[in-house]
Amino acid sequence: MKAPLLLPPLLTLDRATTRVPGREFGPFSLKLNPGERVAILGPSGAGKSTLLRLMAGEGAAHGGQVTWRGEPLAALPARTLARQRAVLPQQHGVAFGMPVELVVALGRLAFEPDPGQPGIVAGALQAACASHLAGRRFDTLSGGEQARVQLARVMAQLWQAHDGLLLVDEPLAALDPGLQLALLDALAHFTGPRGHALVAVLHDINQALAGFDRLWLVQGGQVVADLTAGRAALPALEALFGIALHCVDLAPGRIGVLAQRAAQVPALPA
Amino acid sequence: MSIRNLPAMPQAPRQPHTSSASPKPRTPPKLPTRPTPQSQQAQQTQYVQCAQQTQQTQYVPPSPQTPQTPQTSHRAKLWHRWQSAPGRVLAVAGLAALLLAVQVGAVPVAASDWWAWAGDGPATGGAYVLWELRLPRALMAAAVGAALGLAGALAQGLFRNPLADPGLLGVTSGAVCAAALVLTVFAAAAATLPPAARMWVLPAAAFGGALAVCLGLDRLARWLTPGSVSGLLLTGLALNALTMAVVGLCTYLATDEQLRSLSFWTLGSVAGASWPVVAVLATALAVALWQGRQLSQALNALALGEAAASHVGVDVPALRWRLIVTVALLCGLAVAWCGLIGFIGLMAPHLVRGVAGADQRRVLPLAAAAGAVLLLLADTAARTVAIPAEVPVGIFTALIGAPMFLALLRGMARRQGGHA
Repeated sequence: MKAPLLLPPLLTLDRATTRVPGREFGPFSLKLNPGERVAILGPSGAGKSTLLRLMAGEGAAHGGQVTWRGEPLAALPARTLARQRAVLPQQHGVAFGMPVELVVALGRLAFEPDPGQPGIVAGALQAACASHLAGRRFDTLSGGEQARVQLARVMAQLWQAHDGLLLVDEPLAALDPGLQLALLDALAHFTGPRGHALVAVLHDINQALAGFDRLWLVQGGQVVADLTAGRAALPALEALFGIALHCVDLAPGRIGVLAQRAAQVPALPA
Repeated sequence: MSIRNLPAMPQAPRQPHTSSASPKPRTPPKLPTRPTPQSQQAQQTQYVQCAQQTQQTQYVPPSPQTPQTPQTSHRAKLWHRWQSAPGRVLAVAGLAALLLAVQVGAVPVAASDWWAWAGDGPATGGAYVLWELRLPRALMAAAVGAALGLAGALAQGLFRNPLADPGLLGVTSGAVCAAALVLTVFAAAAATLPPAARMWVLPAAAFGGALAVCLGLDRLARWLTPGSVSGLLLTGLALNALTMAVVGLCTYLATDEQLRSLSFWTLGSVAGASWPVVAVLATALAVALWQGRQLSQALNALALGEAAASHVGVDVPALRWRLIVTVALLCGLAVAWCGLIGFIGLMAPHLVRGVAGADQRRVLPLAAAAGAVLLLLADTAARTVAIPAEVPVGIFTALIGAPMFLALLRGMARRQGGHA
């Protein structure tokens, strides 16, 4: 963990709850420090995306409070927040046949007038492995290509910012394994030097262990564990998904896991 | 684990693209045969470059669409010009349509009549027809067409749907409904107003009616069917039926004299043109175009979805509110003086988007220009097809627009694999 201890937390959730028709999520009490990389893991329907939307300020918290650098998130103007915080949604339909460059350039909307925009758009497309898609219409791209263009859009948004926050919801779901790893590297190269915090909803335990500092395990609309990524987190992960994890040492300080069906599900540690 | 440590795997080349405008030369798609050592190396570097290519490859901006077909025929040349510079083509077409509109008609207009305004005394004959009848009428048709085209483009951006035409969604019928109420049920109350204010009662009522339907549609569609395209169109259909029922009730209650002015509204015509009305419409249009220019990039962001638009810094509720008021203003004024003229708001943005792309910064002004040209031509045809009688122009636009709507629906269904 490389968060400077003197800085106040970037984002704080204080007993925050949110609601969708028929279901309540939370209360969540979490702290995110600047530059921290957090992976949100949990079974389908546990509330991972809902937690991410709550952190993104999409709709006010139903109860409790979400604060951004000490200020209530809901009270901040969208433009001010957009200069520091970008969100990559899970679904990315774009109405009309917009060209790829325009979709990426929309990430720079909060900075207009922005003379450096064309260069930033080109750089972001390159960083997201999407340079070759320039000039095409977004709605003619495949799912994986659309995901790359949207990633380029959020990168363009935080291109010049420092100590910001990037929230991504399953960015790698539609991609092949080679590109998944390439984009994880690209994300790390993007957020690292700029000091951006990264919160990602993920499905792959190996990716979460390799590229993130902390794991938030979500189950039944609650964060059931807040752990440091590493071997010590494996029992909680086994309990969360009801699987057995076979651990392999890949390099010093680096582990990989192989998921197997659990004969007996161990109880979740308190 | 870094991908750089991975052994080179034989792979097929990624992404055989078929698009026309591409920034880089591409290798043709090959079948995965046994890889040569060079191709192995090239493929291995592909992913690695991705992650660390910040300095390595230079980005080449895409060249504007280059003409690829040999321009042999006149038609091909015209088509290419329309694709490359639609604004210029629309300007030329608009001027030509304007000249045609003032020249064609029952009374011939001589070249000398154009200079008649410089002379003193009341204009007579051809000069009167030109300056007091045809020119205001042609400009009014252009202004109303531009207003409807712009309103259509704004509504489509607001509802994120290329089928959202203010006419189809019931916004213009809302304006007609309010106008009909003023003309019949509240006719006595309107008559008590001072004469100067009376001129503005109808436009104000039409604006109010359009605004009410637009707001109601926005709220109702979100509440009943959140995020659904067909839900939005069906909600519009219901509001359309509701407002037209009120119009029907007004027709039932109207006296013979009121009935005549009511039928004018439901058919749609620009015959009531006059210079003051043209001036008011032009001012409103200028304000709306300026608004559109201010909002165009935010409107582009809205195409990403409401949540994503707010994440990139758009104040979505304020944007929606401004869009709704602008659309209601344009539709209300168009309806107040010209009645129901359908499908221009659907056709104009669609034509423009086909050649100029989906960028609202280009679509909004071009849709206004295309709407002006379309209605000008339609009105000229409506005026001259059965001289000396005159066909209401709303009938003409519906005759052209309805088949086009069906074609648009088919095109959308084809693109989305059957789900329009």
